[in-house]
Amino acid sequence: MRVDFVKAIEGVLAADPRSMFVTGDLGYSALEGVAATYGRRFLNAGVAEQNMVGVAAGLALAGMRPWVYSIAPFATYRCLEQIRNDVCLHRLPVRIAGNGGGYTYGIMGATHHALEDLAVLRALPNMRLFFPCSNDHVAGAVSQMAALDGPAYIRLAISPYTTPVAPLSEQPVTLTRQYAARRDATAPGVTIVGVGHGVQIALRALASGGLAEANVDVFGVARFPWDFAADAALLQSVAATRNVVSVEEHYADGGIGESLRAALPEARAFRILAASYSPEQRYGSPAFHLQQCGLTPEALVAAVRESLR
Amino acid sequence: MSEPSTLLSLREEALAVRRKFLRMHFEAHAGHLGTGLSDIDILVYLHKVWLAPGDQFILSKGHGASSLYATLHHFGRLSDADFATYYKDGTLLPAHPAPGALEAIPAATGSLGHGLPIAAGLAYAHKYIHQTKRRVACLVSDGECNSGSLWEAALFAGHHRLDNLTVIVDANGLQGFGRTKDVLDLEPLADKWRAFRFRCEEADGHDFSRLHEALQRPPDGAPTCVVARTVKGKGVALMENKLEWHYLPMSQEQYTRALEDLAEAESRLKQQKQS
Repeated sequence: MRVDFVKAIEGVLAADPRSMFVTGDLGYSALEGVAATYGRRFLNAGVAEQNMVGVAAGLALAGMRPWVYSIAPFATYRCLEQIRNDVCLHRLPVRIAGNGGGYTYGIMGATHHALEDLAVLRALPNMRLFFPCSNDHVAGAVSQMAALDGPAYIRLAISPYTTPVAPLSEQPVTLTRQYAARRDATAPGVTIVGVGHGVQIALRALASGGLAEANVDVFGVARFPWDFAADAALLQSVAATRNVVSVEEHYADGGIGESLRAALPEARAFRILAASYSPEQRYGSPAFHLQQCGLTPEALVAAVRESLR
Repeated sequence: MSEPSTLLSLREEALAVRRKFLRMHFEAHAGHLGTGLSDIDILVYLHKVWLAPGDQFILSKGHGASSLYATLHHFGRLSDADFATYYKDGTLLPAHPAPGALEAIPAATGSLGHGLPIAAGLAYAHKYIHQTKRRVACLVSDGECNSGSLWEAALFAGHHRLDNLTVIVDANGLQGFGRTKDVLDLEPLADKWRAFRFRCEEADGHDFSRLHEALQRPPDGAPTCVVARTVKGKGVALMENKLEWHYLPMSQEQYTRALEDLAEAESRLKQQKQS
């Protein structure tokens, strides 16, 4: 998603002279073009994320609309109080981009994983979250963020299960995508909700035929807070199936699935597939980590079967 | 500014702000007296002399908010109606500045180490993006110089040659639970700022002519820092240099004695004026 993000950002920087790009010393072989083109509107704040976010707040108070970029944990937890006090409490248009949501950074290890970024940020006032489902979902999110007058966060990630499935539809306001629709409106069915790039696990399950027997709607959600007035299709699906399985590369506690479960009390059953570390945690590729915590197409298929039992 | 009459009038204004400050704290039964008395002379100097239209002031030591409210009210930048609500339910003037509440206070502070990064961001935008002459002053406490984010911002300001940024350290030598030299010794503090590429001078933070000298520097590619040596509780004998006045509210008797100290200072000032 990083390439798509940089491409979208170049569009924003070109279109809006108030926009700026601030990086926490990240961007090798990605941001050189932005750095060369935008002069003082590009700023490498160094490995100093608390100052980076405070500076971005100052820039925003001076009328600018900065984007702040780093690896997801460094762009969020390290400077959480600056995001809360300096950005969110002041409702400033500071847009934070965290690269490497979930286990994207794999073998780089636990310090580089981001499994609670959405949880901590979704608790903050005035904050809006974006978590694109796939590379071609990034531009739409960036464009919405660029238009906001308040704080926002985008979670950029890569799934090892990335599967090119064209969505049946995309809701223009919420960016929610529907990838599969139930065959039989009257038979028992399941609503699968993939959170951001977590939906790729469901798309792989679809593509591999694992869900062929099941009567499922598959949605990919990409934005928080919820806007169910716009997301009527998702709401109708849950009203019909009353049976939801959500999947996200993020801890269950504080995650987007948890929030969806709270928002949709009409779901009789709600299973959350989420990330975790085990006490005997070992490290490896993103796929290895997803296997370790049971975030796989096979596990999703099993959860769907079980929920229909 | 070097004229004795200007100096005397600044001292008069500072006394008036101290009186206002003591009254609001007494009526509100509010603590944080020591820190306000320590920075009132700096605030009066900045608002009366230093800040030009368009310049901005960030109070990074947010626990000094009441002294800023008193100063802003004194100089007509805070309405009587707002000022009267200090510390009360429904106020826009809590003990630490609120976000987006008053035009004269651009940023909410209170968690230390936040104001200087914000001030540096403002200064960067004024100098390099908007290319204006607008300046930014930021008042930090010495205890605040414990925090890493402050030094991150200092590094940033020095690197980007933010000569439109001025930092004043209210160095009263006392912090939350001890003397700064016993908690985390900051000295040599001015050398630290110099090492971060600031032009840094020390000055008596209650001497207006010294503050003026140290703070009037033409831009030369480096940010300015003044380590203002101050006395916590300045002007009220029973509070001077006492840790507990970071926290305590005043009793009626203490308030009376504090006002007597101010009255005495005022009569000395009058005598100086006449002579």
